Amino acid sequence: MRNVFLPRTFEDLWETLEKEPDAALYAGGTDLLVKIRAGCVDPPCLVCLERLHALQGIREEPDKVFIGAATTHSRLVEHPAIREQFPVLVRGASVLGSPPIRHMGTIGGNIVTASPAGDTLPALYVMDAAVEVRSAAGTRILPIREFILGPGTVDLRKGEILCGVWLNKNLEWNVHHYEKVGRRKAQACSVASLAAVLVVSETFETEKARLAWGSVGPTVVTLQEVEDAIVGKQLSNETLNAASTLVQHGVSPIDDIRASAEYRRYVAGALLTRLADYAAAPIVSMNGSRL
Amino acid sequence: MKKTDQQDQVEEACGSSAARHVPLSVGASVARLDAWDKVTGKTGFAADYYSDDLVWAGVKRAGVPHALVKGINFAHAQSMPGVIRVLTHKDVPGINRQGVIRKDQPVLVDDKVRHCGDAVALVLAEDKAALEKAINAIEIQYEPLPAVLDPETALEEGAPLVHEDHPGGNVLLKGDLTIGVGPEAEKECDALVEARFETQRQEHAYLETEAGWARVDDNGMLTIVCSTQTPFRDRAEVSECLGLDAGRVRIIAPYCGGAFGGKDGVTVQTLLGLAALHSAGRPVKMWWAREESFLAGTKRHPAQMYYRLGAKSDGSLHYLSVRLYLDTGPYDHLGGVVLTLALEHAGGPYRIPNAHLQGWAAYTNNPIGGAFRGFGVPQVTAAIEQMMDMVAHKLGRDPLDLRLRNALKRGDRNCVGKTLVSSTGLKECLEVVKTHALWRERDRWKSAAVSRKLRGVGIAAVMQASGYGPVVPDVGNAKVELTLEGKIRVYSGVVDMGQGNASTSVQMAGSILGQEAAHMELVLPDTERTLPSGSASASRCTYTFGNALIGAAEILKGRILQRAADLLMAGGKEEMTLVPGAVRHLKTGREFPLSRIAQFLNNSERVATNHFRAPVAADDLGIPDDLRLHGLPHTLFSYGAHLVAVEIDQITGAVDVQRCLAVTDCGKVINPQIYEQQIQGAIGQGLGYALCEDLEVEQGRISTPDFSTYILPTAMDIPEMESVAVEIYEHTGPFGLKGVGEVATNGPLPAVANAVADACGVRVFRSPLTPERVLGAIRKV
Amino acid sequence: MRIDFKLNGKAIFIDVPPDRRVVDIMREDLRLTGTKESCGTGDCGACTILVDGESRLSCLMLAVQLQGRDITTIEGLAEGDSLHPVQQAFVEHGAVQCGFCIPGMILSAVDLLDRTPKPGRKEIREGLSGNLCRCTGYQKIVDAVQAASSLPTKDESVS
Repeated sequence: MRNVFLPRTFEDLWETLEKEPDAALYAGGTDLLVKIRAGCVDPPCLVCLERLHALQGIREEPDKVFIGAATTHSRLVEHPAIREQFPVLVRGASVLGSPPIRHMGTIGGNIVTASPAGDTLPALYVMDAAVEVRSAAGTRILPIREFILGPGTVDLRKGEILCGVWLNKNLEWNVHHYEKVGRRKAQACSVASLAAVLVVSETFETEKARLAWGSVGPTVVTLQEVEDAIVGKQLSNETLNAASTLVQHGVSPIDDIRASAEYRRYVAGALLTRLADYAAAPIVSMNGSRL
Repeated sequence: MKKTDQQDQVEEACGSSAARHVPLSVGASVARLDAWDKVTGKTGFAADYYSDDLVWAGVKRAGVPHALVKGINFAHAQSMPGVIRVLTHKDVPGINRQGVIRKDQPVLVDDKVRHCGDAVALVLAEDKAALEKAINAIEIQYEPLPAVLDPETALEEGAPLVHEDHPGGNVLLKGDLTIGVGPEAEKECDALVEARFETQRQEHAYLETEAGWARVDDNGMLTIVCSTQTPFRDRAEVSECLGLDAGRVRIIAPYCGGAFGGKDGVTVQTLLGLAALHSAGRPVKMWWAREESFLAGTKRHPAQMYYRLGAKSDGSLHYLSVRLYLDTGPYDHLGGVVLTLALEHAGGPYRIPNAHLQGWAAYTNNPIGGAFRGFGVPQVTAAIEQMMDMVAHKLGRDPLDLRLRNALKRGDRNCVGKTLVSSTGLKECLEVVKTHALWRERDRWKSAAVSRKLRGVGIAAVMQASGYGPVVPDVGNAKVELTLEGKIRVYSGVVDMGQGNASTSVQMAGSILGQEAAHMELVLPDTERTLPSGSASASRCTYTFGNALIGAAEILKGRILQRAADLLMAGGKEEMTLVPGAVRHLKTGREFPLSRIAQFLNNSERVATNHFRAPVAADDLGIPDDLRLHGLPHTLFSYGAHLVAVEIDQITGAVDVQRCLAVTDCGKVINPQIYEQQIQGAIGQGLGYALCEDLEVEQGRISTPDFSTYILPTAMDIPEMESVAVEIYEHTGPFGLKGVGEVATNGPLPAVANAVADACGVRVFRSPLTPERVLGAIRKV
Repeated sequence: MRIDFKLNGKAIFIDVPPDRRVVDIMREDLRLTGTKESCGTGDCGACTILVDGESRLSCLMLAVQLQGRDITTIEGLAEGDSLHPVQQAFVEHGAVQCGFCIPGMILSAVDLLDRTPKPGRKEIREGLSGNLCRCTGYQKIVDAVQAASSLPTKDESVS
């Protein structure tokens, strides 16, 4: 039998973590409880964060948005501010798991689990998300790229929790893309994924691009050279095909039960060519005006 | 306590007052009577049986594929808190071997473990946590043995033996049949195609895993409630292994939460019985976790198939050569039956005058190959239906026309030489496909593919034999009763594992006896109360039990009417008729409630029983006795034709099945809604088999041991399906029916494979057609 | 540990270890076996219950998380002898075969219709994508949910 604590305030939480430094923290439980069942981890006790109001919900500021770590994926995708400002994140969170999993799983959990296949992560990378880490001693904020250190590893020390995610508003992007490749259409663990936000001119020239791949490296992969290769050029099959070779060189996938490294490498590159579909029709910008 | 105190439970025919006065007519889509309790969560599945004072039983499994057992250390486990007892093979009082045909599977391992899921020790504990701890604390000393991991190498000289005492070595069963002039016919062919096919292991993945509850009462009666397809056979196996008289064992089979063949054979039954003998009269529960069901349950046999098919230039098929290897794992589990069905269906539903068919079911140390909807037919259908497309291509003929040209009709001989004496509606099914918009407009549909998408349309013809073949009797024993309350109680002999045969039985009996749902009752299979009627398998349930039931219902009807006629001094029972709840004298209009008539019948007259034995093949085809025992040849077949339209994504290789049509000949349809349920469900499993399901095994160990790695189709993965019933009356069937349980499972894989080949010009010979495999094929072009 | 919550409309309390799984509490402690278990890892949906009206997986919920919540299991859906419209539709449209996935499937459908009162077939499939069924091929389940969604809601029928 394990004790399970349900703190309602930060004070409760710090007190509990002080007494139980080896406690495992969870909000939705969709990752941790599965790992415990499989015998991968055996924590002495658990702390459930679902009742900590300070970790819930979305706070909008003039040029930033804060998402509480214990915000569930379903709350996230329903929230008007997120839908308006960060469609790429909505796309990622909408295909994560399944409906009941989305009602339980949280963005904080997805980040801290730091699976190479995490569905919110590529979106958070292209949005240059920052994470807020809190402890009894104070707060620190760091870019998500520095927070996620490797598969399953994040920069969280004892007594610290992930408190939330900061996203900068940016209405410039007019292409918001997330594609997840799995072995089936729902409840699939991604074998390759691509998040992309672009600024595309009315003649379909790419002016700015941020790209991030999931499941093809130990963590999310971003490739400056690929972004450079498509910026200043037409968003066309030709440009993207050429750039896809660079992608294949830049990713480092592994073989596992779901897919081979060879397949992942090829698909990671090929996924880029899907962006040409956005040049098929006029692009509507985020403030609603047609280009 | 809900269920265990109500062992003599009787199901009312329906739970809603709105449906009570629904007439029961054959041919109508009467709502299933079990639906009300299932939507309210009231239905008691075997997994739902709990008691106060419950003992939990669980199994320590081998964890290695092949090893001698040198010692089992369980003293520490047995001393742990909450642990009652640990049992080993030494505690098995009767014969420590189980099996349907060949008894080769121990209750608890005594000599060596033969697969990772082998049961080595049985633990009884007070709760699940103590059980798990104790199981983990048991240590087994092994002397590893080289493992047999592939059916072809299992047959080689010098291969390690899975069963040293088996005279056939690693061959469970083999077949070698020559039809017509055999291989000599090959040179007479104008077009010859050759290919090797590989189909994968498939997991049943029923939602209710193996489960049961058992108790020995004060009279020494062992009652086992379990999720099973075979209560009477279970009783025989349990009593033999536990050294008990069959009369001291009672098996109750409630509604089963899915089986598909995986519960056709002992799973928890004997272990539960053994545990109950050591629990001092306390009830015992066993319920396999999903991981354990993966580890220990049976699988669809993976197959390696070598095909050569030759035709004449006029399009007539002339010669078929098949060599097939089935990996049957370490135990019989009907693997021989899977082989004989595969051989019988290897040529598909076509006239092929010359053939050489060889097959082996080989013992290995991989997971157990056992019964799974289709039983060897999905495997060979995947091969022959692709060969047909390849021959059509070689001859420059339309694939549908090639099938029509060679389609079997009644009176023809099939590829093992069996004369088709029963209804054969294959041509009619193919004609429906031919005139269907999906086929006629396929070129237009395909050319509408957008960039980065490839479209293809594929077809497959299917057939499926029903019953047990010429030797093992396919028998049903029905019992119906007029209760003292005036209800008609049907004692169902066959387990309802979701296919709705309980409802169909009530519908048939109710229709003969002129009653509505409100007046019907049902008793689910129970060795104490219902009569032996064989397994819920082989597409035989409604056919065999239905035929028995019709007879029983007619007998009871006759008795009721005759007694009423005598009491009324009417001219004869022709003047009487049954109406809902009563008997009416047509001449005078006088009515007697059934409850009244019941009082005028002696107890022995209120119950009617009837036996039916399915007809078998009378042909003498020179088939060896062992193959005949395992089912060759059958005499009754269902047929069908499938079409799928797919769209392949050139970036990912993902195959999206966009349209799906199944046309089926299963005789007359008794309940269209239930019929469609079977077709749609079979297609669902068939599509999983075609696209995403693969129970992968490496070095004897399952590498896809749970639902996150074993990919089942979700609601987003199965398309809208269209089902058309071609209703050709089958004279030997109840109301003209044939079995529908399995036939549609055979269509999806070959139809999809043919569609993929049509879309990209390259054929994928290995299933499932995962995105990775299909992308590999596309990139070759 | 004492835990107070509302179950199928009634306030109750239980005394269980804090890490006891909610699916075990329902099935074993409260003997409400309508909620099923089929995988224990959140992959199949058979254990679905409604928590404050939202579908969640009870095999991945621990006892303490019940505190103060309003829980609905399949047993709490019908009102007396009257089936919930989704239950009724499942019966009428042949959506039930073996039945083991059905309680979870129905509760997921109830949650879906709560969020999206008139879903299209594709939305229904998406909404039920967390509930595996091995028997039906899903089509009649989609038929049933679509039929239930086209019935007048409580508000509509009052006017």
